[in-house]
Amino acid sequence: MRWSRTGVALAVIALCCAFAVSVAAPEQQLTVYTAQSSYSLPVLDRVGKPYVYVTDLLSPLGATKPTLKGKEWRLELNKAETRLTSGKDKATIRGKPIDLGGKVLVENGRAMVPLDALLPLLGRLMNTTVNFHQPAMRVFIGNIFTHFTAEFKNGDQPSLVFNFSQPVKPDANHENQNGVLTHTDKTTLLFDKDPLVSDLKTQQYGDGAIQSLSFSEENGAALLTVTGNKPLQVIRSDDGRTITLLMQTPEVSAVPPPAQPSAPLAGTQKRPLEFFVMIDPSHGGADKGASFGGKLVEKDITLRLARELRKELEERGIAVRLLRESDVDMSLDRRAEITNEQHAGIYVALHAGRPGKGVRIYAPLLTDPQQPLAGRFLPWESAQSGAISRSQTVARAVSDELRKKGLTVASLVMPLRPLNNIATPAIAVELAPDEKDPQSLESQKRQNNVATAIALGIVQIRNQMGARP
Amino acid sequence: MIPRHFQITVALVLLAILVSGVIIIHLTHKEEALTLQAAEAVPVAPIVGGRQEHIQLLLAYDEDQALRWRSADVFLPSDRNLRARETLRSVLAQYLQMPSPHPLAKGADIKDVYFINDDTMIVDTTAPFADGHPSGILLEELTLASLIETLTANVPGIAKVKFLVDGKERETLAGHADLMSFYQTAVVHELAKEFE
Repeated sequence: MRWSRTGVALAVIALCCAFAVSVAAPEQQLTVYTAQSSYSLPVLDRVGKPYVYVTDLLSPLGATKPTLKGKEWRLELNKAETRLTSGKDKATIRGKPIDLGGKVLVENGRAMVPLDALLPLLGRLMNTTVNFHQPAMRVFIGNIFTHFTAEFKNGDQPSLVFNFSQPVKPDANHENQNGVLTHTDKTTLLFDKDPLVSDLKTQQYGDGAIQSLSFSEENGAALLTVTGNKPLQVIRSDDGRTITLLMQTPEVSAVPPPAQPSAPLAGTQKRPLEFFVMIDPSHGGADKGASFGGKLVEKDITLRLARELRKELEERGIAVRLLRESDVDMSLDRRAEITNEQHAGIYVALHAGRPGKGVRIYAPLLTDPQQPLAGRFLPWESAQSGAISRSQTVARAVSDELRKKGLTVASLVMPLRPLNNIATPAIAVELAPDEKDPQSLESQKRQNNVATAIALGIVQIRNQMGARP
Repeated sequence: MIPRHFQITVALVLLAILVSGVIIIHLTHKEEALTLQAAEAVPVAPIVGGRQEHIQLLLAYDEDQALRWRSADVFLPSDRNLRARETLRSVLAQYLQMPSPHPLAKGADIKDVYFINDDTMIVDTTAPFADGHPSGILLEELTLASLIETLTANVPGIAKVKFLVDGKERETLAGHADLMSFYQTAVVHELAKEFE
């Protein structure tokens, strides 16, 4: 009896230990950076090697859903067919074999490949350079790196100013709502969304409030760590291209950070979803959109207008993301997927097209409204159903601002892709050319006028409806 | 006596005229052959019988950004599918003539029309209908609204319409208007009113 009690006690202790270990085990993740976005996926230990699910890795890049024929999985990305066979350590891409560095595994009906397979797989499938920082589990597709410089300023209030080659949005540890760090000996900026790279290891600055700076990469993220002996305030400015770490003084701690253009950094734990506008410069790559004579095509006009609109919104303190920054192909479904995944506050698609003149504002129209399914899921074709009235409100606000600027405006509702697949308020803006002078679409003054009016409409809606319309 | 150099000049001019004529005839034949080939490449629906009817077509006018009702005399068969197809083709015929109120690409046509149940119709268009359609939100939506409204005005009992291109689904008509969804004719009716 005594033995059985001891046995039960040992079993309970063993179970508790196993549970504690399993809970405590940090989740490994891989981050993939592309020109359009970045995404993370779990890395799982299988047969003593790190593995990832093939769909987690390739679907965000636009790969088709893998189909299973016998033991062979087939999928397509960038018009290249990939075949993976369960239990085999080789795959074929465009009919040519590649070594995966480990066997293909199948788990829960999904194919997995070892981490060693990433470079040969992506190298063949993507039409650009691929860099894999394997120990840090970071993959860079294309020449998309973000670099930085750091300038230390000593004095009564020491500071460290980072200048980044592109806007960044790191997470900072230990902050309160005013963005003032309260930790005294170590400040860490975690970059899991930005393709930040550096040759810097550690830089020493003395023994004051800011003592050293180090750069490291681990678990799908880059880290900037600053040590010192005083709490630091973080100020983000220049649209996220500059971050200043400033020694906190009693006066500083009592004063909120400046509203413009600085903004506090978000926290690391359970931060609320930040409101941002997703701008979609429609078309791109092989899809030129409408042509207006000569080399003037819709895809270029929309990108220029998108950049103008981003500038106008950021100047008004509204965060912005662009679905494409360059002349690249992107399917309509992918545009909707990214917008939904990132929980955009408002989606704005930009177009240019005949006939007529002025600007047309479109709110979505569901041609065949379907009943939402049970639970959290919405039918793809009518994902907009829950946001359609708010989309109309946004469209009205933007139209009003355009009219105030003296522009000819038509407000319409239309069944458009990808608006109907987006689960957040969504509108499309179409610039119509002056028939006598289609080149007017390129006019900086006109684009600025339209961008300003759209930005004002969005600001008004955001103020009316709170942070998340 | 005509000078020799003048004789040579006249001979050369005549020769040049002759050669130019041969080249022009050759190019004309070549162009005719290409035109004929293109015409043959366009799928031609079989000639249908039926009686002539005076029907209403809702046509798009790009210049005015409007839809307007126009009447036309069209031979319409009694079979519901054929009637629907001929109705749609009569709209496209208006757009393919010169000058056109809403130009479409040569070869734009209706390949087939069929019902998948009593009130839901599939319209299968030719590839040039979508491939050559001018790109633009309004231009594309006017085309679809014009076709659907004309269809429902002349073929009763259609509640939903979906478009295919060359027998396959396509995301959009020319980059904008949704072709994946079924269009409820009642919704399109409300939409079309905005342009009438």
